[in-house]
Amino acid sequence: MPDSRVAVTGVGVVSSAGIGVGPFWEALTAGQQSVKTIDLFDASGFGCNVGGQLDSFSARKFVPKDYRKAVKVMARDIEIAVAAADLAFRDAGIVTPGIDPENITVNPKRLGCSIGAGLICTDLNEIGSAINTAVVDGKFDLQAWGREGINNLTPLWLLKYLPNMLSCHVTIIHKAEGPSNCITCGACSAHLAAAESARIIERKAADVVIAGGAESKLNPMGLLRQDLLKRLATGHNGTVGPAARPFDASHDGTVPGEGGGLLVLEDMDRALARGAEIYAELVGFAGACDPAGAAVTQRNAGGLDVAVRKAIAQAGIGPEDIDLIVAHGTGVADEDAAECQAWQQAMGPAAADVPAFAITGSIGSLFAGAGGCELAAALMAIKTQTVPPTVNHASPSDGCVLNLASHARSAEINYVVSGAFSIGGQSGACVFKRYEG
Amino acid sequence: MSRRRVVITGMGTVNPLGHDVADTWSALMGCASGISRNELFDAGTFPTTFAAQVKDFDLAAHLDDAEKHEHAGRHCAFAIAAAAQAWKQSGLGEHNDIDPADIGIYLGSGEGSLDFANFSSLLVDAWNDGQLDTRRWAELAFERMNLHREVEQEANMVLAHLAAEFNVRGPAYNVLTACAASTQALGEASMQIRHGDASVIISGGAHSMIHPFGVTGFNRLTALSTRNDEIETSSRPFDMTRDGFVLGEGASILILEDYELAKARGANILAEIVGYGSSADAFRITDQDPEGDGAATAMRAALKDADLSPEDIDYISAHGTGTKQNDQVETRAMHAVFDKTAPNVPVSSVKSMLGHLIAAAGATELITCVLALRDQVLPPTTNYHTLDPDCDMDYVPNGPRKAPVNTCMSNSFGFGGQNNTIIITKCH
Repeated sequence: MPDSRVAVTGVGVVSSAGIGVGPFWEALTAGQQSVKTIDLFDASGFGCNVGGQLDSFSARKFVPKDYRKAVKVMARDIEIAVAAADLAFRDAGIVTPGIDPENITVNPKRLGCSIGAGLICTDLNEIGSAINTAVVDGKFDLQAWGREGINNLTPLWLLKYLPNMLSCHVTIIHKAEGPSNCITCGACSAHLAAAESARIIERKAADVVIAGGAESKLNPMGLLRQDLLKRLATGHNGTVGPAARPFDASHDGTVPGEGGGLLVLEDMDRALARGAEIYAELVGFAGACDPAGAAVTQRNAGGLDVAVRKAIAQAGIGPEDIDLIVAHGTGVADEDAAECQAWQQAMGPAAADVPAFAITGSIGSLFAGAGGCELAAALMAIKTQTVPPTVNHASPSDGCVLNLASHARSAEINYVVSGAFSIGGQSGACVFKRYEG
Repeated sequence: MSRRRVVITGMGTVNPLGHDVADTWSALMGCASGISRNELFDAGTFPTTFAAQVKDFDLAAHLDDAEKHEHAGRHCAFAIAAAAQAWKQSGLGEHNDIDPADIGIYLGSGEGSLDFANFSSLLVDAWNDGQLDTRRWAELAFERMNLHREVEQEANMVLAHLAAEFNVRGPAYNVLTACAASTQALGEASMQIRHGDASVIISGGAHSMIHPFGVTGFNRLTALSTRNDEIETSSRPFDMTRDGFVLGEGASILILEDYELAKARGANILAEIVGYGSSADAFRITDQDPEGDGAATAMRAALKDADLSPEDIDYISAHGTGTKQNDQVETRAMHAVFDKTAPNVPVSSVKSMLGHLIAAAGATELITCVLALRDQVLPPTTNYHTLDPDCDMDYVPNGPRKAPVNTCMSNSFGFGGQNNTIIITKCH
């Protein structure tokens, strides 16, 4: 038995369906569709030009006044993480120096941070402005670049795009001096971050850890890579709502989005002592991988069956004890099929019996930001004893046995399992247990 | 309750001084320099024209079937070779009774390098009236960009290649905490074994940022040495005349294993990981905490985790990048932690010879610690000639030193303030 139990006491979400866990959950349970035409840039040259985009979003109102200048050196992924962290700490009722330096309620040395991130894309207009100062005879010239061109980039340019900067800005703002990490395993990053953070609390290396992930794929490089992988949904351009269709017979690919979710994980004794409101207890978690993941054009679920099986076993329960499955649901036909197979392998008949849902229909695929939102949804489901609908799921796709519904359902939920997987073949799963005082 | 012990049973490396552990160690013992003029691209007009490069590397020399990794990026190929060496040394290949789901991978591996030629030409060709014509950019990008070249840049792809090569089905993590990444990977991997999440973990790091944007980024931060006329001796950790780090590349992989498993299968145990500490400066993205508080916190946490006192440490493998700030702050932090014993504990930075392998640095340095334990000799800090009053420890200057070594501490600190420390001992 570990030394400590792990409670979730705060959730911060940034998504196209809502900013803050309350609005996010309201939109999910209402079946709100938030995928629409991308207008951050002209995406008409890509196979998919709709996405789960954040509208008029900035981290400015989520940082202390004296840190607002630093927002200029934050890539969008970083801004999302910074906003989600502020929301999560406030939701947890934990006062960090970034929230109110006069009334701190957490020891900075005992506060950890682990935020999953993707491959952050440099702003093409920013780098393009500099690159185009180094053109000789109509062509980019490396010598001109080295001599003069590079000086047209802001000195801190590199720091905008390092994936660990999500964690670093959050640790600086909130004075989190404990263990700090940055997991870069695509869509399962937040699950792995939560797992590792739970271990950190269990072994008493920190009392509180903020963990999850954030990413924005809504930029030309992000769309290009997904397009080259032939993963994008192409059938619903120009529409508002229906493009992302997890496990639906007419699914035709993934719809990229942007956002993220962070959880405040806390030593159970500490949470109880301060009378915190507890979403649930994190009782099982595991990671896994699939050797087939290296072949990126052949879809697989990253060993999700192993991760789910191990997470359920670690919780000390069996598949029949699970009351709710939070599926990943990229909407890519072969991936949806591989995922369903993984749930069946891990859970047997329970995979078809237990209610399930996926949130991608509402907000699109958030890559490193996906897991945080999925875990947030899992926690709200257990807290409110409600299964939200799977938006745009009308009739099951080939091989889909999951018990999904297009409407919200109430259910008795004592254990929920959430699993996610990455392109490249990694996966992670977490099991939450209802906390009943 | 006694905790599971974690031991090292295999090591492999590809770096500017060698393509395996033996060659690397003899180069370090001979005070060689891995630094030379940048041949990976023409950096003649850049503020920094040199780097610590891996030369004449061929994955096929390390694997029978290298073709199946044909899409692997440069740093990924280094990692595959390093892992193959480590796996072979561990002897685990002959133990196929271990459940693949009980074997994990935990790397601090960097992003793959950008397809710079196409990337830059696209920005020129799709540039219109002071901004990017994204539609035109997309059209041209589909003509020029290659699927695998793009996807292999994702930082989780090295995991994918290693999982395929060694049939791994257990937990797979990649972390990218800048220059601290592979120390953090090794530390967290050892925790996973301790917690029972896996029995064997392939761990370490890989990185290559010796490409135009890597050098651009670090040059803009004024983090790199610009000693273009004294290339071989440009990396000068702790020396008064240091002027920045030297960008390197490579990969180092260690096999971590549950002690009981290693003992039961009669493995050759190279060392034991006994302590790990992680912290954040929580100070600024651009600077380290000048007091070295974050670094000291990581060192203290590792000592506490190992249940050791400062006087138990026989050698510190420093982060020692050769930037003005790092070496001063690190020295201050070592003083804070080691206090009265500080003058007695030898410290060195092998970055003086290897350059700075960024995400791969910590794993490479941990290998040198294991070898220090094995051979009872400390690797030196080369190019050390002028005392900096702010850097006043025993840096093992300019030549290896015979010394009794039972316990080593290895430090890595990342841009942005993530600090990690690992402590290893001889396994008893």
